[in-house]
Amino acid sequence: MSNEILEEQINSDYKYGFVTDIEADNAPKGLNEDIIRFISKKKNEPEWMLEYRLKAFKYWLTLEEPHWAHVSYPKPNFQDIIYYSAPKPKVQLNSLDEVDPELLKTFEKLGISIEEQKRLSGVESRIAVDIVMDSVSVKTTFKETLSEKGIIFCSFGEAVQEHPELVKKYMGSVVPYTDNFYAALNSAVFTDGSFCYIPKGVRCPMELSTYFRINASGTGQFERTLIIAAEDAYVSYLEGCTAPMRDENQLHAAVVEIVTHKNAEVKYSTVQNWYPGDKNGKGGIFNFVTKRGICLEDNSKISWTQVETGSAVTWKYPSVILKGDNSVGEFYSVAVTNNYQQADTGTKMMHLGKNTRSTIISKGISAGFSNNSYRGLVRISKGATNARNFSQCDSLLMGDKCGAHTFPYIEIKDKSAVVEHEATTSKIGEDQLFYCKSRGIDNEKAIGLIVNGYCKEVLNKLPMEFAVEAQKLLAVSLEGSVG
Amino acid sequence: MLSIKNLHASIDGKEILKGINLEVKAGEIHAIMGPNGSGKSTLSAVLAGREDYEVTEGSVTFNGKDLLELSPEDRAREGVFLAFQYPVEIPGVSNINFLKTAINEIRAYKGLEPMEAKDFLALVKEKQKLVELDGKLASRSVNEGFSGGEKKRNEIFQMAILEPKLAILDETDSGLDIDALRIVAGGVNKLKSKDNATIVITHYQRLLDYIVPDVVHILYNGKIVKSGPKELALELEEKGYDFIKEEVGA
Amino acid sequence: MEAGLKTMTIKDSLIAEFESSKNSLFGDLKLREQALEAFSKQGIPGRKSEEYKYVNMELALKGDFKFSSSKKLSTQQIESTQFLKEAIIVVIENGIFSSEHSKINSLPKGLQIINIIDATSNVIFQKHYSKYADINSDAFIALNTAFYSGGVFIRVEKNAVIEKPIHIIHIASASENTILNSRNLIVVEENAQVKIVESYETLDLSAKSFNNVLTEIVVEPNAIVDHFKIQNECELGNLMSTTQAVQKGKSVFSTHTFTLSGSLVRNNLNIVLDGEHIESHLNGLYLTNGNQVVDNHTLVDHREPNCNSNELYKGIIEDKSSATFNGKIYVRKDAQKTNAFQSNKNILLSDDGTINTKPQLEIYADDVKCSHGTSTGKLDADKIFYLRARGLSEASAKKLLMHAFASEVLDGIKGMEELHNYLEERISKRFE
Repeated sequence: MSNEILEEQINSDYKYGFVTDIEADNAPKGLNEDIIRFISKKKNEPEWMLEYRLKAFKYWLTLEEPHWAHVSYPKPNFQDIIYYSAPKPKVQLNSLDEVDPELLKTFEKLGISIEEQKRLSGVESRIAVDIVMDSVSVKTTFKETLSEKGIIFCSFGEAVQEHPELVKKYMGSVVPYTDNFYAALNSAVFTDGSFCYIPKGVRCPMELSTYFRINASGTGQFERTLIIAAEDAYVSYLEGCTAPMRDENQLHAAVVEIVTHKNAEVKYSTVQNWYPGDKNGKGGIFNFVTKRGICLEDNSKISWTQVETGSAVTWKYPSVILKGDNSVGEFYSVAVTNNYQQADTGTKMMHLGKNTRSTIISKGISAGFSNNSYRGLVRISKGATNARNFSQCDSLLMGDKCGAHTFPYIEIKDKSAVVEHEATTSKIGEDQLFYCKSRGIDNEKAIGLIVNGYCKEVLNKLPMEFAVEAQKLLAVSLEGSVG
Repeated sequence: MLSIKNLHASIDGKEILKGINLEVKAGEIHAIMGPNGSGKSTLSAVLAGREDYEVTEGSVTFNGKDLLELSPEDRAREGVFLAFQYPVEIPGVSNINFLKTAINEIRAYKGLEPMEAKDFLALVKEKQKLVELDGKLASRSVNEGFSGGEKKRNEIFQMAILEPKLAILDETDSGLDIDALRIVAGGVNKLKSKDNATIVITHYQRLLDYIVPDVVHILYNGKIVKSGPKELALELEEKGYDFIKEEVGA
Repeated sequence: MEAGLKTMTIKDSLIAEFESSKNSLFGDLKLREQALEAFSKQGIPGRKSEEYKYVNMELALKGDFKFSSSKKLSTQQIESTQFLKEAIIVVIENGIFSSEHSKINSLPKGLQIINIIDATSNVIFQKHYSKYADINSDAFIALNTAFYSGGVFIRVEKNAVIEKPIHIIHIASASENTILNSRNLIVVEENAQVKIVESYETLDLSAKSFNNVLTEIVVEPNAIVDHFKIQNECELGNLMSTTQAVQKGKSVFSTHTFTLSGSLVRNNLNIVLDGEHIESHLNGLYLTNGNQVVDNHTLVDHREPNCNSNELYKGIIEDKSSATFNGKIYVRKDAQKTNAFQSNKNILLSDDGTINTKPQLEIYADDVKCSHGTSTGKLDADKIFYLRARGLSEASAKKLLMHAFASEVLDGIKGMEELHNYLEERISKRFE
């Protein structure tokens, strides 16, 4: 009985599944040293960058794909992927008027119309956007406004050219290419991404944002993001992702590194909506991402907030190394899986410094036939006196064919630690919907109320503009999955 | 106001209600009593529109409208309120947000503008007192972590906010200790007016000491087998439900 | 040989005592004999026993013990333990119901209170007695069932609402080491309501007492029962307190355990939810100091669908004391739509104190909402600092915070102002 409502609503479509008809400049399929040299050359990179890539590639060849996550999927054929695809013609753009109108339409469809950005630019809360399409950063807005403050916000490729000293110093310092299989792959073949440097004492006056879009077929996306906050700096950074509907699985293997110096703070928010595959589990993005930040010096703070509704398979643990004394790490996550999606996501909080604190709030929602796992590690090292952690991992089940799993790992080597872990599993059902209805609230509104209520603690952490988008996204992803 | 004629309803092919007839006029309080399994909760579920039950025969008109044709939310919007026997928990949704959504949906249905936030808050404050509901409960998630007694109080609080024309209290007394019962009953009595009506469904007579009905109906085996003044409830309590079984020759 | 010279163990002397006194015992002798057999099979649980590993029962029962105490207390002494003015008083003095000190002459309609010795032929008593506390599940249940010397049978009849609380005062008083076994049966019938306070006191005690009290509580459909255990024993008092409750459909049972003192206190609280739409609340507060050992074992057994249980235990541990919380929630296969919550929070104030906490969820149904949380920590240094910055001394800041921590459990007491105030005062004094 209950499954009727469920099925009726589960059929809501992926609304970002358009393909932009833009001619692309592609590398041949496959992966070998020549492809890496091709990418490096296309990007006009200095020799040290090429060397780094080749080292990573050689290391990658010695690795095997990891299997410990609670997901199963066909092994990607790494020789059947296009590792470089750039929208053509690639010209340096100075104003919005010069942007390919097709591309502008894409942005509008993405729901982040640049028109809106323009409108927003008049008001207090502004967003500077970097857009990465397939492998290449196509547009960065508000660059001039930012550079007045000494803030560097540009594509990764540009940073390699113009700020090689910063890139050399920080790239790989948080996620070395030896870290894991996909980090090694990314280090070898990454094509672009965002780079951000907030100088000493500067509070970034606007939200910085990157929108990632996989567009061309048969491509993988391997972008890299590097954010550095110098002493007393602050930035709030947003990331959004979408991809067209395609029958094949596309690979997304990104690396994000964050470094905070003394008293600095970085807030990193993600709304991830890669194409999740169709309702039979066909197609969709494999999202294997390594995200990690290090609170390098005292009193610094890194906060990850993510709303994950997309991807066929997700494997992702935004983590914080709390090295500086009194540093703070936070992880707020909503992960939604529907149909045949699989997610194994969580965080790692590594306490090294004294008086370090971390908070983990994870909200998993599983519907359809999906599997949603939380995997989190809290490690208090010896000498990390007075470290504290609070973790809360909630799972919400919709229907009886999905699964929710919690795998907490807590390792404490210091007796002054205070670590709390709470976990709940619950089910949203017909009863709740009927209760809402008999108070005059219809089905759609009721689901919105319930899901947003459940995720409230996380959604509250998102910047205003993003929170609205995330709420809509949740409603779309889950419409009707109740039973 | 409410007219139930020859109502038959079944669940999973099994007939539970076997021809209910009931007339409720504005300003009246009706009590429906009956042993377990007599169909009390089925009746309230059918009136509120629970989809698990199939109405096989008969009609229900509410202020001239065919109630059975309406969706559960439209029944609520027309002014039918069911105080649930087992109020449902909705984690993360605050009572206030829940009620604001409900009240504005009902207003939209009636072609009214949404209520101003400050008017709404004033309304909440006023009605909270009615059932001595702690201000903290109002801001907590709907029924989550409430004790059974608090849930029942919250039902009456919602009823006070939504001001229904017809309130159906489904075993509101179960799980209530004597003090809470007095408070809840006090709330219901204060909400009574000549324009609204209440149906009190209960297994025990105790509640009727506090909410005094105009008519008591005894439901047995899917039918109302006896109706009478409030004293009927006392008689029933004293003799037990077995006497009904004997009387109707079951 | 050495073995031959060895003095009798407490188990041996208990068995010998049973043999010599069994002909003077009341009640069902056959059942007592079965219970003794069950006891001799199990023996006094040692530290290797999983269920008793954190509490040294053998140590508490070391030495020679008598099995009754003839000490008589004055009315004045007993009245000093009556902290509720408006209550129906039942006194169990050294394991035996005291008709002299109990005040049960004019009971409200629907309430029966009978000395358990006189209750054995009562039909209701027979229907329920020893039907819930399983002699094979625990040595102390077996011991109590074999040996019990007295206690009380309380019946609240269908539809009765007893507004005054019933205060059962268990008093141990002896000048030699004594083991006491008392037994209570409380039956609350359909749609009835009652409040029961059990307090455990020691008066004029100059040797060790070991009080093994077992209370069975039956909560029938739609009944509402509030139950309190207030544990007030002195440093010579050892308490083994078992509460075995069974609930039927739509009933509400709230039980609150306050352990304020005593040498060794072990509470076994087992609740069986045998019906649908049941609500159970388990609250506990233990404040331990000195060399005290307190061990709370709870078991919530969800057997049927649509029930709610909610458990909160909090403790503050000082000096060399040790506190254990072992809570199990058991959700059987048929118990769908169960809501079960459990929380245990501790504050450890000393370097030598010990906390053992073991929350367990055993879930065999799939549509359930269960959670458990546990935390152990110290007083929040930021809060202490904040209070000091407002002029409070460090000591009074700590007192204030400990008091606030404990208050959450007190807040679970509804509609019992006198009891609330009494406990409030006791707790405040404790932190002075």
